[in-house]
Amino acid sequence: MHDITVVDLSRWQFATTALYHFLFVPLTLGLSFLLAAMETVYVTTGKQIYRDMAQFWGKLFLINFALGVATGLTMEFEFGTNWSFYSSFVGDIFGAPLAIEGLMAFFLEATFIGMMVFGWERLKRGQHLAVTYMVALGSNLSALWILVANSFMQTPEGASFNPVTMRMELGSLSQLIFSHDAQAKFVHTSIAGYVTGAIFVAGVSAWYLLRNRHVELARRSFRMAVLFGVLSTAGVITLGDALGFVGGQAQPTKLAAMEGLWKSESAPMPFNLVAFPSQKDQANHGQVQVPYALSLLVTHSMDGTVPGFDKLEQQAVERIRGGIPAVEALQTLSSKPGDVDALAQFRAHEKDLGFGFLVQRYSQDVSKATDAEISTAARDTIPQVAPIFWSFRVMVAMGLAMLAFFVLAVIFSLRNDVVRHRWFLKIAVWMIPVPFLACEMGWLVAELGRQPWTVYELLPTWMSASTHSVGYMIFSLVGFVGLYTVFIIAEMYLMLRAIRTGPERPDDGDRDSDSLLNDSVNGGRLAGAEG
Amino acid sequence: MKTFLLFVLFMLIALVVIVLAVVLGDSGAWYFAWLVGTGMIVLVTAAGGAMLDAQDEHAAMEADAGARTRRA
Amino acid sequence: MEIYGVFQVIWWLLLGVLLVGLAVMVGMDMGVGTILRYVGRTDLERRVALNIIGPHWEGNQVWFVLGGGAVFAAFPLIYATAFSGFYVVMLLLLWSMILRPLGFEYRSKLPSAGWRSMWDWALFVSGLLPMVVFGAAFGNLFKGVPFHFSWNLTSTYTGSFLFLLNPFAILCGLLSLSLSAFMGSVTVMNGAEGAIYERGRTMARVSSALAIVLFAVGGFWVHGMQGYVLTSGPGAGVPQTPMQQVVTLTDGAWFANFHAHGLLWLLPALGFAGMLLGLLAAGARRSHLAWWLGALAWLGVIGTAGVALFPFLLPSSSVPAQSLTVWNSSSSQLTLTWMVGFAVVFVPLILWYTSWAFYVMRGKVSAEHVAADEHSY
Repeated sequence: MHDITVVDLSRWQFATTALYHFLFVPLTLGLSFLLAAMETVYVTTGKQIYRDMAQFWGKLFLINFALGVATGLTMEFEFGTNWSFYSSFVGDIFGAPLAIEGLMAFFLEATFIGMMVFGWERLKRGQHLAVTYMVALGSNLSALWILVANSFMQTPEGASFNPVTMRMELGSLSQLIFSHDAQAKFVHTSIAGYVTGAIFVAGVSAWYLLRNRHVELARRSFRMAVLFGVLSTAGVITLGDALGFVGGQAQPTKLAAMEGLWKSESAPMPFNLVAFPSQKDQANHGQVQVPYALSLLVTHSMDGTVPGFDKLEQQAVERIRGGIPAVEALQTLSSKPGDVDALAQFRAHEKDLGFGFLVQRYSQDVSKATDAEISTAARDTIPQVAPIFWSFRVMVAMGLAMLAFFVLAVIFSLRNDVVRHRWFLKIAVWMIPVPFLACEMGWLVAELGRQPWTVYELLPTWMSASTHSVGYMIFSLVGFVGLYTVFIIAEMYLMLRAIRTGPERPDDGDRDSDSLLNDSVNGGRLAGAEG
Repeated sequence: MKTFLLFVLFMLIALVVIVLAVVLGDSGAWYFAWLVGTGMIVLVTAAGGAMLDAQDEHAAMEADAGARTRRA
Repeated sequence: MEIYGVFQVIWWLLLGVLLVGLAVMVGMDMGVGTILRYVGRTDLERRVALNIIGPHWEGNQVWFVLGGGAVFAAFPLIYATAFSGFYVVMLLLLWSMILRPLGFEYRSKLPSAGWRSMWDWALFVSGLLPMVVFGAAFGNLFKGVPFHFSWNLTSTYTGSFLFLLNPFAILCGLLSLSLSAFMGSVTVMNGAEGAIYERGRTMARVSSALAIVLFAVGGFWVHGMQGYVLTSGPGAGVPQTPMQQVVTLTDGAWFANFHAHGLLWLLPALGFAGMLLGLLAAGARRSHLAWWLGALAWLGVIGTAGVALFPFLLPSSSVPAQSLTVWNSSSSQLTLTWMVGFAVVFVPLILWYTSWAFYVMRGKVSAEHVAADEHSY
């Protein structure tokens, strides 16, 4: 039997380590393609400055990449260490994309990154460029397989339960890979990474332009980053809408939480621009609504509706009642494999199996579940609305703000007068944290919105965890928090130091230390030399 | 010979792209969009950098021409 | 045998390939970490040692990630049971592993001696600890691990953390450590010159001699141990859970497969031959040859362990009947088939571009170059 404290601690640990890992991933996804673009210009035009750019941003890329790899190892372990029932229950499906990720993507990325860093002198220009593209492709393919795995948790397609082996088994790999959720999620996430890379490069370049340092390098980087960014941001918003559309149909409870939809409404539904959802009252307070907008947004039509929690909870009650015989049949099959009656009973109620597990949290013997326990379990199907509602709104607002920023930046950059708009350069520097936060918010919406399930409507979170003691969980959580805190301090310090030092040619190496000590003097000298 | 090998290489790449497009276009339209979109984004970005150089050269030429007219 | 059974055996073999790949490639980098403070006395010497594996450690580390992913995909029940059962050990392994990327990337980014020395210790711990854990985990497979399942296959581990650190497991851990130190030493010999080379040579001879002794002692130890025998069960190629078999314990049963198939003795022979010839080759300054012999030694050692345990993967000491075998813990036929397909396409591709990367970066790493190159670690 699972201790709910252990489950909660496992959730906290997963959320902490995944959100932390996801601080580094988007920058890797985007910056790698930006590096490839810079190097492409170097190879085609032969201008040394683009090589300097690729090398300088490459140095920052590596500092970030190291932590991305290190914290990614944690994720690979964590399913087994903390979520062992989950791992054995869906491992037949979920493990495959993770293994393919290693075979197809991570090997590519990791082998070629060594070549990218150390190969400048040993490889021909064209070869090195190909290597850089391989790194970019590899890191994004990594994201593809991870998100294919994740989308199985959101919309479990291409799999079915096998009562003989007591687990979920793969039915169709192509259905898994080409599920609409996986497609929309991958493209949305990958391109969100591009936006992150673009804002990062644009922001750091703006910082140099403000200080009149490395001007030639900075204005080229700025130009390339904002073009990269404006196209990517448009893509992110398009795909965000697609993901909402696809996910909304497959995961009605998540959609209802994102929109704060407690009561089902008739079409055309109004959109809650601002609201303060209360889980206790099952209602919103102080809501500001935009008429008609919700129908338009989530169904792409004026007369579409989506169910609110009142309806969804009612459906959950029915499905729990349907799932109870399925769990009973499985218990029989576990001790008497091949029992024909039990198998028939299971097949009849198979689709509600997960809901049967849901009530088992309150009644170990599901056949004795009372009405009160069933309605408590049904109430559990409503995720925590307020954090999902607000994460979603903050993410969208940030996306739109970045679009506005990039459009303006492209105008200034193409006119070549961005340096005259110092206020805008300052904004650009302050934009740097925005995409990182937006990515984290997106993760929160996706994963909090999936609750109370690890695999949507199939496997409840409460039974997915390992059977550890609370002490173990506290031990590991404290360990991770401690280590990760040290890591982020080291990372930020090195990153800021590398940025302050700026792009130095090897023959400027000696000035490394004094450029740190005396930023402004050095900056003036370099700007003089370059400009 | 080198031209021929390059020709064969590019033909092979073209073949792979066509097969990929046919397969992906059918069952994975969004994946296909990502592939094409990423290619386009990277190319536009690279072109933007090259364009800046062209703008600089143009400006330098104009400044140069202006200086000469003044001298004349 | 059912076609499903064939795929189960193929995946058992592939798992062996991946584990050998992990041991050879990750083991050599970790070996360099373990001996770093010995072969490199000055900061520059240590940087030379680090830069020998600098371009490759990242790619090599993927063998480790892939090993985890492959167990998850092909033997999910093993992944779930072993990773949660070995909880504290796994965390120590993980925490020391995640120090490595930072040790490489961040160490030489600051000039401070204290900063660098700290990361050198981190690289030492993250080279030594994972290899000991890797071997100790194998050792515990022979002893059996206390776990059992509930009706829906929720696994519960009933041992303590200290249980996993029994003497036999520590012996196996030391064997794995000495093999990795050997590989690290010859790798340093491959890429270094002068004093570093000589220290690498000394270390290679010491570690391979140690490995020979430990492997032999381990063999005798296992001989006197109780082994597991799968008396009856649904058998190969039949979908099943671990609740349907009968398992008995017999003295010396871990040698049963060798007694049944004499050819299998070639595996331990290969292990000993690799170590012994590796020792001689390192002594004769043929470090590249020694590296390949070390890889063969790993193949022999892991092959010996795998064959001895077969068909068991994770025996249960508390409820032997619920021991995990190749037959009851593998994925479904469809998953195994797909994964074989992916492995057949991508493993050769990986070997090809990895070799290319090593070819491009071949040759000695000189101290002058490390000091002058801003990209070096």
